[in-house]
Amino acid sequence: MTAAVRLDLARALVVAGIVLYVPANILPVMTITVTGDVEPLTVLGGVQELYDSGLWPVAGVVFLASIVVPFLKLACLSWILLLHGTPHLRPQRTAVYRILHQVGTWSMIDVFLLAILAAVGQLGILASVQPEPGGLFFAAVLLCTLFAAEFYKPTLIWNPDGDPQTAQ
Amino acid sequence: MTPCPKESDSHWLECRLCRASIRDRDLGRGEELRCERCSELVKKANGGASPQAALALALTGLLLVGLANAFPILSFDVAGNTQSNKIITGVFALRDQGYAPIAALVFFCAIAAPALHFATVAYVALAGCVRAALPGVRSAAHAAEVLEAWSLAPVFAIACVVAVVKLDMLGTVDWKSGIAWIAMLALCSLALGQVFDREAIEEMLEEAT
Repeated sequence: MTAAVRLDLARALVVAGIVLYVPANILPVMTITVTGDVEPLTVLGGVQELYDSGLWPVAGVVFLASIVVPFLKLACLSWILLLHGTPHLRPQRTAVYRILHQVGTWSMIDVFLLAILAAVGQLGILASVQPEPGGLFFAAVLLCTLFAAEFYKPTLIWNPDGDPQTAQ
Repeated sequence: MTPCPKESDSHWLECRLCRASIRDRDLGRGEELRCERCSELVKKANGGASPQAALALALTGLLLVGLANAFPILSFDVAGNTQSNKIITGVFALRDQGYAPIAALVFFCAIAAPALHFATVAYVALAGCVRAALPGVRSAAHAAEVLEAWSLAPVFAIACVVAVVKLDMLGTVDWKSGIAWIAMLALCSLALGQVFDREAIEEMLEEAT
């Protein structure tokens, strides 16, 4: 795959990720029903619920992993891609890419949480957890950012037209 | 990010990321040489990591993947009605409720990728142990590197903790033995990331051939 194709794919995925980020955060990710109380939860709603229950350390972890990391990943990838081909801030761009690569997958906490809750929340009218379309959008955002970071190898920062396979 | 040394001659190394030349030097135990321009890891001393250690951890990881998938993680009780779950139960629940793409993602990242990652690392480490280029070992090494990014056992372990906290607000939650295996799997996965040095094993294999 050439550098130009990789760049185009990364750009397309980041744009798609930005578009999908909106419904991922507006639409409910799951609906929890316990003894007749129906509660649709967005990603931020889940964090708010944990915070309101006094579980702020857990709320902090989920907030960072599910809201801050995807947002920062999209913002940083956009910045890196916008500066592609220019000699500006190359060491900084490389450092940011490395950090993104390390923390990017932690956003999957919310997707795994949905799977665990959906598995145990099958107690009929007593308690149920129903996945909602927001979960699909959220998973799509994560995949867009993960694949964008895979396509845009950091060697392209230093060698914009070179062979990206020579390093990562 | 994997180390990527590329020797241009006996005294200079070339950074594969930014192509800068870096003067080679002998490294002490645990030391590493980084590119001054881009901070990329160019050379790393073998800090006690060996293919034997990687092989042992990878085989342990494979065993732990089996155990983590065989036992329930937690049970949830509301008004005397109890439900317990394994990792795969969540995958089936999502699929049955019409969310097959998320189910596939969970299956791949929590079950398939960790198992395949441990298996490929075990194969590459085995080749390093016997110092022989086993069939397809380079493809396996490349696959191990790709799969490492998708092997999310540590993230799944954190998600289990968050799930327990959340379910505790709705009913009664009990840990089951599966969570212990998942925690050990996560630790094994993190340890393997520190011990497995693909470049070193590939160099070892090149020298052997």
